[in-house]
Amino acid sequence: MKRAGWGFNPATERAPFLLTFDNSSITLCLVDCRGDMKKTQTDLLQGTLDLLVLKTLQSGPTHGWDIAQRMQQVSRDVLRVGQGSLYPALHRLEAQGWIASEWGASENNRKAKYYKLTAAGRKQLEAETETWRLFTGAVELILKTS
Amino acid sequence: MLNKLRLRLRALFFKPKMEDELQAELEFHLEREIEENIIRGMTSEEARSAAIRSFGGVERVKEESRDVWGIRLVEELWQDLRYGMRMLLKHKGFTIVAVLSLALGIGANTALFSVVDAVLLRTLPVPEPERLALFEWQAGLPFRYSGSSGTSNTPDPPGTQGLSLFRYDVFEKMRKARAASPQSPLSDFFAFAPIYDVNAVVGDQAEIIKGQAVSGGYYAGLRVQPSLGRAITDEDDKPGVAPVAVLSHQYWQERFGADPAVIGQPLKLNKQSFTIIGVTPPAFTGTLQVGYHPAVTVPIACEPLLQGEQSSLGTANKPGHWWLDLMGRLKPGATYEQARESLNGAFQATALEVMPPPWKVDQPAQIDPKDYPRLVAQSGSRGMLDIRRAYTPTIYGLFIVVALVLLLACANVANLLLARAAMRGAEISVRLAVGAGRWRLIRQLLTESALLAVLGGAAGVLFAYWGKGALVALTEKDSGMLPSDVDLSLNWRALVFTLAVSLLTGVLFGLAPAWRATSQDLATALKQSRRTTGAVSQLSKGLIVAQVAISLLLLVGAGLFIRTIYNLQRVNLGFNQENLLLFRLQPQQGGYKDEQLLQFYQRLFDRLDNLPGVRAATFARIPLIAKNICCWSEPILLPDETEKTAPLHPTDRQTVRENYFATMEIPLLHGRGFMTQDYQIAPGVAVVNQALVRKYFPNDGALGQRVKIDGKREVEIVGVVADAKYKNQREELKPMLYTPWRQEVTMLGEMYFALRTVGEPPALASIVSQVVRELDSKLPVTEISTQTARSQATLGQESLYARLLSFFGGLALLLAAIGLSGVLAYSVAQRKNEIGIRMALGAQPADVLRLVIRQGMTLVLLGLAAGALGGYALLRVLASRYFASSSSQHNMAEQLYGVEGTDPVTFAVIASLLLLIALLACWLPARKAAQVDPLEALRQE
Repeated sequence: MKRAGWGFNPATERAPFLLTFDNSSITLCLVDCRGDMKKTQTDLLQGTLDLLVLKTLQSGPTHGWDIAQRMQQVSRDVLRVGQGSLYPALHRLEAQGWIASEWGASENNRKAKYYKLTAAGRKQLEAETETWRLFTGAVELILKTS
Repeated sequence: MLNKLRLRLRALFFKPKMEDELQAELEFHLEREIEENIIRGMTSEEARSAAIRSFGGVERVKEESRDVWGIRLVEELWQDLRYGMRMLLKHKGFTIVAVLSLALGIGANTALFSVVDAVLLRTLPVPEPERLALFEWQAGLPFRYSGSSGTSNTPDPPGTQGLSLFRYDVFEKMRKARAASPQSPLSDFFAFAPIYDVNAVVGDQAEIIKGQAVSGGYYAGLRVQPSLGRAITDEDDKPGVAPVAVLSHQYWQERFGADPAVIGQPLKLNKQSFTIIGVTPPAFTGTLQVGYHPAVTVPIACEPLLQGEQSSLGTANKPGHWWLDLMGRLKPGATYEQARESLNGAFQATALEVMPPPWKVDQPAQIDPKDYPRLVAQSGSRGMLDIRRAYTPTIYGLFIVVALVLLLACANVANLLLARAAMRGAEISVRLAVGAGRWRLIRQLLTESALLAVLGGAAGVLFAYWGKGALVALTEKDSGMLPSDVDLSLNWRALVFTLAVSLLTGVLFGLAPAWRATSQDLATALKQSRRTTGAVSQLSKGLIVAQVAISLLLLVGAGLFIRTIYNLQRVNLGFNQENLLLFRLQPQQGGYKDEQLLQFYQRLFDRLDNLPGVRAATFARIPLIAKNICCWSEPILLPDETEKTAPLHPTDRQTVRENYFATMEIPLLHGRGFMTQDYQIAPGVAVVNQALVRKYFPNDGALGQRVKIDGKREVEIVGVVADAKYKNQREELKPMLYTPWRQEVTMLGEMYFALRTVGEPPALASIVSQVVRELDSKLPVTEISTQTARSQATLGQESLYARLLSFFGGLALLLAAIGLSGVLAYSVAQRKNEIGIRMALGAQPADVLRLVIRQGMTLVLLGLAAGALGGYALLRVLASRYFASSSSQHNMAEQLYGVEGTDPVTFAVIASLLLLIALLACWLPARKAAQVDPLEALRQE
C-alpha cells in the first residue's frame, strides 16, 4: 500500500496494527513485539475495511482466512484484521451485493466459503478508491504545511 | 436493494441453514488459525487457546453477522409474541377473565357500529351517490298546504315550517323547467314516494306488500341497472299507458322463486293488472326511509289505479297531496346551491299558485314575500334522512353505554395488568440491569397486552356475530327503537373498526402498566423490597372508583326503567283489555267500496257474531294501543262557529260499530250509545269522550249540541263515554268524537277488528282467518294479535331499555367486583409482611379483616359518590337541547314515567345492592389476609 495513511513506516520495527471493527469507528490496537497492548483510537472512514477487502478480492476469489492472510502479507505485516471485524464486514458486503459467496473446497480439501467480487463490487471498489485518494491527499497536504 | 430483501427472506425461512453456514465458516477460520499457531511452534492446546483468544468472542461475531441479516426486529417481535402467549397460558384465570371482558366490550361496540353504519353512514348502492341532491322546501308559517304528513330533514328555523314532500303539479313544473334549460346543473331530476299497503295477488296467494311510485326518470337518474328485464322509463310514466311494475330483488326471490320467466307476466295489485317488466339488483333497496324496502315499484301515472279515490295525484274535486320526494343528479362540478337556484323559481311560482286561501278571515290574502316557500337542496347520497335524524339520539345513547362498558373492561384489564406487572418487578429489574433497553421491555409488555386485545377482539367479533339475534330485537317493529329491515350484517367496515378498537384498547390498558413497571429505580427494586408498603397505586384506585361509578349509573338507569314499565302497566286504559283478539282487514285494497264494502262487513259480522267462543265482535277505524302511530284527526266546528271565524279545535276522530262501547267495556256516562238505525237519521249522530266535553263544552255539557265535522257535516252529540287511551299508555287524553260506521263510508277501507272471546284469544285466530277466507279468498287478514300482547308490545322500547341497562349494568358490576377483588388480593399479597408484623404485635384476625375491608369499601363509597354526581350531570345533558327531538319517542330521558331521573328510592336500592356485592368482593381477600400465619409471613423475605 503506497499511502499507508497512518504515518507508520513499515520498514521500522513498529509492531503491526490490529484492525477491528467497532461500530462506527475503527479501533487500532497497537501491539508491540513484546505483547503489551496499547490502544489508539482513530476515527477513520468507516468503509476502510470494506475497501481493503474489496481490493484484496480483486486479485481473485478466496475465503475469509485467506483474505486476512493476504491483507497481512501485502501490508507487510502492518495490518492485521481481527476475525471479529472481518466476518461481519464480509457479510455486510455480501448483503450489499458487492461480493458473492459460494461454498467450495479449500486447499486441504475442507469445505470453505469462497467470496468473489461482483460487477457492482468492482464499480464500488473504483469509487471508494477514488474517495480514499482524495481524502488522504487532502490530509497529506495539510500535514505538509507545518 | 434486491439483495437485501433476498437475504432477509432467506434469513426468515432458512435460518437454521444460515446458522450452520456461519458456524462452519468460523470454524474453518479457527482451524486454520490453530494450524498456523502449531506451525509457529505452539502445542495444540496453546494453539487452540491462542486462536480462540484472538478470535475475540465467537458469539459476538455471530451476533454482528446476524445483524447484517436484518431480521432482528421481526425475530424480536416473534419472540415477544411467543413469550406473551406463554405468559397468558400460564395465568389462565386472568387470561380468561380479561379476554371475556374485552370480548363483551368490543363485541357490543362492533355490533352497534354495524347499526350506526346501516342507519347513518351507508350510502346508496348506486354509482356516484355523492352527486345526488335531495330537495325540500321551507316557508313562513302563513303559507298553508294540506294533505300531507311528514317532517323536514333539516331543523326548521324559528317562524318557518318545512317539508320534504312536494305535490305532483309542482314537481311537473320543476321538471319541465329543468328539461327546458340545457345549462341546468342537474343532469337528472325525478320523484318517488311510498305507497303503503298494496294488496298483491300472486297465484292464489294474497298479501299486503310495500309499494312505491316513481317518475319516469328515477332509475335512469340513479343509474340503477336492472338485474333482469328493464326499468321504468318516461314512456311508462304517461297516463293511459299500460301499467307496468318493477320488482325488488328480495320480493322476486321470495314470491317468484327467482324465476327469470316473470318478465311479461301479469301481477294483480289492488285488483288492477300490472305487467312485470324488470327486477332491480340485489343491493338496491330504494331511496326511501331507511328500512322501507318497497317490494314493487310502479310509475306515478299508475298511482290512481292503486289508490282510487284516495289518489295522491288529486282528482277533479280534490287537490293532490304533498307526497313526493324529489331528487336530482348533479352534473360534474355543479353544487347543491346551483341546483337549488335553478329550480327555485319554478317551484315558488307553482307553489304560490296552488296555495289554498287563508284559513282565517283576518289573515292577509297576500303573504309576505319573505314567507314565500323556497327550495332547499342537500346531499341525497343516503336517501331520505328524517327518520335517521330521529333515531340518532337513541343510537348515540346506546353507543355511549356500550363504550362505557368497553372502558370498564379495559380498566379492569389494566388494573390486573398493573398488579401483575408490579409482581414481576424483580424480574423486570434484572432484565433492565442486564442491559435490556427500556423500550425493548415496554415493547414486550405491550405485545402481551396487544395479544390480549387481539384475542378479545376476535372473540368480540364472534360475540357480535352471534349477538345479531339480540340486535334483531332492537329493530322489532313494535319496540320501534330502530328501523326494521335494516341490513345488519357485519361487513368489512365493522371488522376494520373492531381491529382498530382492539388495538387501541390494547395500547390503552397496556401502556400505563408497561411504563410504570419499567420506570423503576433499579437498586431498590433489586433489593426485593417487599417490605415497603405494598401501595396500590393511585391509578388502580382511580380505576376501581370509576368502575363502581359507572355500574351505579347503569343499574340506576335500569331500575328507573323497570319502575317505569311497572307504572305503565298499571295505567288505566279506559277499557278492558283481557281476552280481546285483534286483526286488521283492508278490503279497499281488494277493490271494495261504497255499498259493496258495507255489505261485506255486514256479511262478515253475521258470521263472526255467531262464532262459538266469541262473546261479541266489533271494529273501529283506529285501533286501541295497537300502534304507536295514530290517527285520524280533524278539527271540528262548535255550534255557531263558521270556518272563517273559528279557532282550531283539533279532535281525534273514530268510527265504530254500534256495539263498540259495550264490547270494549268503555263506560257510557251520559246519553246513549249508537243504534243500528242511526245512520238513517239526519243530522248524523256522534258520541264524544269526557275530554272533549271538558275542553269544548265545559259549562253546558255536550248532550244535544250540534257540531260540524269535515267542514260542513253536522252531527248531534247523543252520548258521552269515559276517556280511553288510544295511542299508548302515556298519552294525554285528547278530545275524541265517535261516529257510527255506516255514516262514514269513505273511511271504511281499512278497519281494525276486536273480538271479545270466551277463552284464550289465540285459539280463535285460525278460525277467524278461515271465516274471512270463505268470504273472500283474496283478502289477507293481517296483524292478528291479542290486546294484551299489543299493550305489552307498546312498552317494547322501555322494556328494551330496561333489559339493555340491566344487562350492561350487571356486567359492569361483575367487572367492578372482580377488579376490586383482584386489586385487594394483590394488596394483601404485597402487605403480607406488614400483616404478619401486626398480628405478631397483637392484632386479631378480625382487626385484619376490618383493615382490608375498610380499604376496599372506601373506594366503593367514593365510587358511589362519583356515580351520583356523574348521574346528575348526565341527566342535565340528556335533557339538553341536543337530545331533545321533535319526536319524543326517541329521546331516552323523556321515556321515564311516574319516576323522576333523580328518584332517591331507586338510587338507595341500587346503592345498597352495590354495597352488598362490594362487601362480598372485599371479604374474600380479607379472609385470606386474616388467615395469614404471622410466623410464615415474617419469615418470608
